[in-house]
Amino acid sequence: MTRWGMAIDLRRCIGCQTCTIACKLDNGTPPNIYWRLVKDIEIGRYPNVKRIFLPLQCMHCAEPPCLAVCPTTATQKREDGIVYIDYSRCIGCGYCILACPYDARWLVKERRGFFNSELTKPEQLSPLNDKIGVCTKCDFCMDRIDEGLARGLNPGVDPEATPVCVGSCIAKALVFGDLDDPDSEVSRIVRERPAFRLLTEMGTEPSIYYVW
Amino acid sequence: MNQPTKLPTYCYQCVCGPDLLKVVVKDGVPVAVEPNFDAVDKHPAAGRVCVKAYGLIQKMYNPRRVKQPMVRGNRRKGLDQDPEWVPVSWDEALDIVAGKLLDIRRRGLVDDVGYPRLAVTLGGAGTPQAYFGTLNVFLAVWGPVDYSLGSGQGVKCYHTEHLFGEYWHRAFIIAHDAPYTRLVISFGHNDNAAGGVTGAWRNAEARVRGMKWIQIEPHLSVTGATADEWIPIRPKTDAAFLYGMLHSVLHEMSWREVCDLGFLKWRTNSPYLIGPNGYYLRDPVTKKPLIWDSIAGEAKAYDDKSLRNPALEGEYVIKHAVEIGPDNEVTEHRGVVGRPSFSLLLEHVKPYTPEWAGGVCDVNPKTIRRLAREFVSNAMVGAEVTVDGVKMPLRPVAILMGKTVTNGWGAYQAVWARAVLQSLVGAVEVPGSILGVTIRLNRPMLDRLESVKVGEDGFMAQSLNPTDSERWEARPRVRNAYKTLSPLVLDSSWSQALGPAHLPWLFMKHPPENWPAPTPPDVWMIYRTNPMISHWDTNLLAECLKDFPFIAAFAYTHDETNWFADVLLPDNTDLEGIQLYRVGGTSYQEQFWEYVGVAIRQPVAEPPFNTMDLTDIATELADRTGLLREYNTAINRGILGFKLKTPTYDYSLDPERKYKAEEIWDRVCRAATMTLSNGRCEYGLEWFKRHGFFLIPYKRINWYLHPVMVAKKLRYELPYQERIKKVGVELRRRLHEHNITWWDRQLEEYQAMPEWDDPPKIFEELPRRFGKDPKEYRFWLVTSRSMQYSWGANVAVPVLADVAKHVMGHRAVMMNEEVGRRMGLKEGDEIWIESPIGRVKGRVLLRQGIRPDTLVALQQFGHWVTPVAKDINTPNMNKLVPLTLESTDGTGSGADVVKVKVEKVR
Repeated sequence: MTRWGMAIDLRRCIGCQTCTIACKLDNGTPPNIYWRLVKDIEIGRYPNVKRIFLPLQCMHCAEPPCLAVCPTTATQKREDGIVYIDYSRCIGCGYCILACPYDARWLVKERRGFFNSELTKPEQLSPLNDKIGVCTKCDFCMDRIDEGLARGLNPGVDPEATPVCVGSCIAKALVFGDLDDPDSEVSRIVRERPAFRLLTEMGTEPSIYYVW
Repeated sequence: MNQPTKLPTYCYQCVCGPDLLKVVVKDGVPVAVEPNFDAVDKHPAAGRVCVKAYGLIQKMYNPRRVKQPMVRGNRRKGLDQDPEWVPVSWDEALDIVAGKLLDIRRRGLVDDVGYPRLAVTLGGAGTPQAYFGTLNVFLAVWGPVDYSLGSGQGVKCYHTEHLFGEYWHRAFIIAHDAPYTRLVISFGHNDNAAGGVTGAWRNAEARVRGMKWIQIEPHLSVTGATADEWIPIRPKTDAAFLYGMLHSVLHEMSWREVCDLGFLKWRTNSPYLIGPNGYYLRDPVTKKPLIWDSIAGEAKAYDDKSLRNPALEGEYVIKHAVEIGPDNEVTEHRGVVGRPSFSLLLEHVKPYTPEWAGGVCDVNPKTIRRLAREFVSNAMVGAEVTVDGVKMPLRPVAILMGKTVTNGWGAYQAVWARAVLQSLVGAVEVPGSILGVTIRLNRPMLDRLESVKVGEDGFMAQSLNPTDSERWEARPRVRNAYKTLSPLVLDSSWSQALGPAHLPWLFMKHPPENWPAPTPPDVWMIYRTNPMISHWDTNLLAECLKDFPFIAAFAYTHDETNWFADVLLPDNTDLEGIQLYRVGGTSYQEQFWEYVGVAIRQPVAEPPFNTMDLTDIATELADRTGLLREYNTAINRGILGFKLKTPTYDYSLDPERKYKAEEIWDRVCRAATMTLSNGRCEYGLEWFKRHGFFLIPYKRINWYLHPVMVAKKLRYELPYQERIKKVGVELRRRLHEHNITWWDRQLEEYQAMPEWDDPPKIFEELPRRFGKDPKEYRFWLVTSRSMQYSWGANVAVPVLADVAKHVMGHRAVMMNEEVGRRMGLKEGDEIWIESPIGRVKGRVLLRQGIRPDTLVALQQFGHWVTPVAKDINTPNMNKLVPLTLESTDGTGSGADVVKVKVEKVR
């Protein structure tokens, strides 16, 4: 079996938001919608303060709470672990947004570009343009993965078959691959480094690991 | 829909490049940006580009751009005067500009005062070069051009590091050698924002390897976030911290055990004997500086082959010696006492104990002492490493500095103390240590190592601007008088921009005594710059610009400076224009490549608006001003980086013919590949449009100056600054001979070993100059760079605002939370920030990672004309910083720091 997942090395991340913008551009998300972003957080009190960058996105949970609440079965989970939305079934009810503990789902309410209603030529080609009134989120760039696999490429190794955010990272903080393959780089990192996942107490079994 | 194509190009918006990318184009429309993975094993960041490159498509299609040439409809200029722009054709616009230029040629290229009638201001350090096609060719053949009207340089740059870095070790920019460095002590060096993708990549690798990073700065920056330790230091006291470290190494440790004695004795002027007047004691016949050989028990010339053990301390009686002082005044001594400069260094730093420094910096003295210990222990004195087959010392410690540390008062002390500390352990230009990455003042600019020539007294040759009475330039040739006032800025094509570039603005309205007051240039051309935002005291600038008779602005959007322009010329942006540019080798900030070559910038689609390639604009201007022959001839000579005609090939232009941009660059592409491949490869523009870059190997050993210094038997001019002291006296004499005394305070900086003269006090006392009480201004206001915006007009690109807002400080001024609460402030409240010259309004962000006495206004916002940016609603500190001689240091730079008070908006 394959279970796609990601390791995020917090030692490397510098909070630059390159992954955030690469995702926006590739997926054509409108302003204020972030399928992924990097949170800038402070912990402690002056002068004993730490500033931490925490990349957040859909965790592609093995037990996704968003799936169970979807009244139209628009949210689906593939055998390879990718949680995605069948936009043709989504009615934009927002239940999944409330159910997701990671704030990883985004409702596209209107067709609005960065210059308001005046869509630029590239914006007019956004794959999200016909997806108004639906919930959206990161799908691990599953089209790239599928097309890459069909071409014999190796997701996590070959950039064309790997999520855009991973290839864009300027600090090599993101590693993508098959968590079920003990020889994959992502498995190796998770095994060898101290690692944690977010909100595991909710039984979600996320596929995103944070290492440090 | 057809399969998308991917077009290679480069990004050089932030001076940390060029970096390589590909633009994904679907049916003729660019839709995505991705790294250039073809360069994954050649580019030092594996072909990555940073967040800004992903905004380039939106930058291109931005409907708020200036979409066609425009001329001013309103003849009056001023902040309150709407320009009333009128669209015109390119032909009309170019005719208007050419007409003004022809007027200059008729009247004479310099005005009655002696200043060039044409002035040009470029923004973003070296970045315009990567975008301005052949505009530099037109300007080069024009004749005298004044590039000295600043847009923020000298204030927003590492000014003192630039000047002294090049002087000491050909380091316009100083970086650590990340693959080897074990310890970085960073004084506000904001590498995660300013180091580019190569900095981010190399540092991430180094952190994982175990490199330790200590960040010393008033607020916890994005770089502090990934550091192992943050030490909140009082602004502008960094040099005191370093002096405390120097004291600790030299007086609290056994310096003979922890220092690199071999390096000090043979690679520095530490053993040079200093005479009673503060100059080297020299052999009376050869005039060579003397060193005491403790084995022979006698003084010998620094390069005497019999010299065995140079003494670093003590006092020695020399039977006969001379000192050569300013203006070559020779003082003869008999039986004179000489002391090694290292001995003087020991004495110099003795008062600067960690306890003293701790009080100045508001830092625990134990911390200073601990870092001094960590510094020397991590230096691994005695260790070696082999690079490209050459065995070199391994000294993996580096002290780095940020902009506000390396410019303005206190910067000389800081860069000197850093260089001396590094030299104590031999950590200069060797693996793991501080390295220069580029030169901009010395020549040849493309080869840092080649610029090291054997000079006087055992040091590398320096070509300081002359200060002797015969050659000193008493009458400035350009408005910032760089050659007159700043010997260290040299006289290269970059020197004008690195002179005291804010002085022309100040002197236009407040001319000093006995000085040819700067005149408004007949024509001012501006490119990729917005000084009304990026310069201090913007009200003063506005007063100057009102009087500028003709301004031609290359314009991406309307902005605060081109508000004053007469003609707007919308040139093609990054993804629309064409240019071949050098990549690789070593370049700032942290571009350490193992390849060197060229990369193409190409149009990825038809420009959506009526814009024009800058090369075509330059060609038109050359043609319309009668300079086409000279322009084409200069291109043939190689001004674009490669000669178009050599014995091997001939791609030269017909001097009389007007060429389109593609034709010119095709020939440059062919010349470049033929040159780089030694005649084996000839690739034209079409090849580059598909492949993007052409590279040849570049040896890693070339990252280091050390082998050249050894081969040429040279010493670093450290710690003693005899030449600086001498030059300072000479310059004072010259100025006084012309009854100029207003530069006296700046001349005090020319010391052989700088004393701590309380730089913060200069800023604290500045309110008095405006009749205000310094006690009212309790906060230090400083700035910090935003990686997401710097530079390239990105404030007008909304997708960058959309992602930048996730990084603290992009929407508000940062203040210590406890202090804010005590003032009755809560998150998001509007506050007035007031300095003696004005006040600005903004929202407040209360956070823990900032000193109680400090505010931080990120980047430079505060726009009121620039579209998109004017809605960001974050203030700009530049409006609050007075432009004064008092805040100008001896190198001619200032610092982004001002004392302010804060009050809640009621």
